[in-house]
Amino acid sequence: MYIERHMITPALTVKPDTLLPEVKEILTSHKFRHLPVVDHDNRLIGMISDRDIRSAYPSSVLEEEKRRTILDEVSKTKVEDVMGSKIFSLSPLSTLDDALHLLSRGKVGLLPVVDEDRQVIGVFSVQDLMKAYKNLYGIGEKGSFLIALEDDGQPKPLTRIVRVLEEMQISFSRLSRVKGENNKNIIYLRVQTFNINLIHKAFKEIGMKIIKD
Amino acid sequence: MTHFNPITLVSHKHYLEHDTGGGEHPEVPERLLAISEQLKKSPLCPVLVEVDAREPERQDVLAFHDESYLYRFEETALSGKTYLGHPDNQICFDSYQIALLSAGGGITGIDLLENNNADLVFCLVRPPGHHAESSLPLGFCFFNNAVIAAKYWQKKYEREKIVIIDWDAHHGNGIQAAFEEDPSVLYISIHEHPTFSFPGTGHAEDNGMGPGTGTTLNVPLRPGSDDTVFLQAMERLVEPALADFRPDRIIVSAGFDGHIKDDMSGLSYSTDLYEVIGRKMAAWASQYCQGKLLSILEGGYHLESLAESVERYLQGMAQTTQG
Repeated sequence: MYIERHMITPALTVKPDTLLPEVKEILTSHKFRHLPVVDHDNRLIGMISDRDIRSAYPSSVLEEEKRRTILDEVSKTKVEDVMGSKIFSLSPLSTLDDALHLLSRGKVGLLPVVDEDRQVIGVFSVQDLMKAYKNLYGIGEKGSFLIALEDDGQPKPLTRIVRVLEEMQISFSRLSRVKGENNKNIIYLRVQTFNINLIHKAFKEIGMKIIKD
Repeated sequence: MTHFNPITLVSHKHYLEHDTGGGEHPEVPERLLAISEQLKKSPLCPVLVEVDAREPERQDVLAFHDESYLYRFEETALSGKTYLGHPDNQICFDSYQIALLSAGGGITGIDLLENNNADLVFCLVRPPGHHAESSLPLGFCFFNNAVIAAKYWQKKYEREKIVIIDWDAHHGNGIQAAFEEDPSVLYISIHEHPTFSFPGTGHAEDNGMGPGTGTTLNVPLRPGSDDTVFLQAMERLVEPALADFRPDRIIVSAGFDGHIKDDMSGLSYSTDLYEVIGRKMAAWASQYCQGKLLSILEGGYHLESLAESVERYLQGMAQTTQG
């Protein structure tokens, strides 16, 4: 669950005095949308995004003369003049859940990962988060599928499920309980077997019902 | 009155010897026995011709499967181990030979069809095949019977454009993997939604890759889908795809586990549906392939429904109405 296992390293960064055309070139050639901006000690001081760059560049519908003037200005503009200073960052010990929370709260697509000295040691994007959760929950894993169970309201439903699955040697990768309609809990389970007879037998044994639609 | 065209059943007594260990395993010899019993007392009985499947040439199997996989499978079976890869894939000492013979079912059928000894062939085989990939056994499948048949048809008889129609309740990941980059084979699968159904593949967005883009059609259905939903999907999606592709030959991956009584899926098909499907498959064979139709048994695990549904499928396929 820790970000240090899922972040992308090393992180590509730019310095505050890097000029915008160079940043634009880096973003385009790497197909990146965000870059951390670091000082000369590699400490995080801001983030620059393709949106910041687009805002700085002249509109394509402007008159040619005005466009040239703005382009001329842009070619001399430093990252520090347009970068965002409201920065969200993760630490290596942040978890995937922390990252999800922060990406969503900050409405950003990428978070820098910094150590205790605020030095940038990696980056973590929405795509990386999706990949990590996909693995974590076994989504798209060939030979597996999701089962929805009705929580019967009896004590220790999850314990009973895990026990019977382990006793019957049915492997599974996800077990979660969520509130369904009418406050009834639904238990989701990703199993890795085609022997559905065995699954039916297992749940019958503990008195639980599979929701079919 | 109803008149039935002849149907050739390709099968083999050795298919009954593939032992999946008893217990709760659903893929059992009784599946074939139940079908045989049903057909014996069926009005179809007089038009059924039984033919033994022959073993395929090694090169026919290697047209899809890796040789190292064949060695691994054979060695595992002969060593006395009870499963290959995942415990789902139960085997016995003879399973390797029997799986080869199962792959031979389609090939035997194709020879009969092409030598004008038959028009309608149904291969009553086991183990099933559509989950098997080139070196991966999966979901009780070891060799991909439909893929091996399609490749044989193309190579031996130069039938260039093949469509494989798979209405087993589960997606045939192995067939898709074999042909997703190959524009000469159109793979159509109608199955329960992959999030809720084994093997978790077959999303509607997966429509082929590279040169094969557009020649894979996945039609996932919500759990609980019934005859109406199935037939609507056939009409709206499958028929136009077929008309567009215009196949030279049709292979049907015929699985009967979408039946409402079959616990292996959440689909809710009736027994009646299979007769309608049989009529449709035969009509398409007449329209595109001079009436030649090859069907290969895949899943279907509720014995009574399986037997009745196979009978109704064959009835639909063989039916002609005379004045």
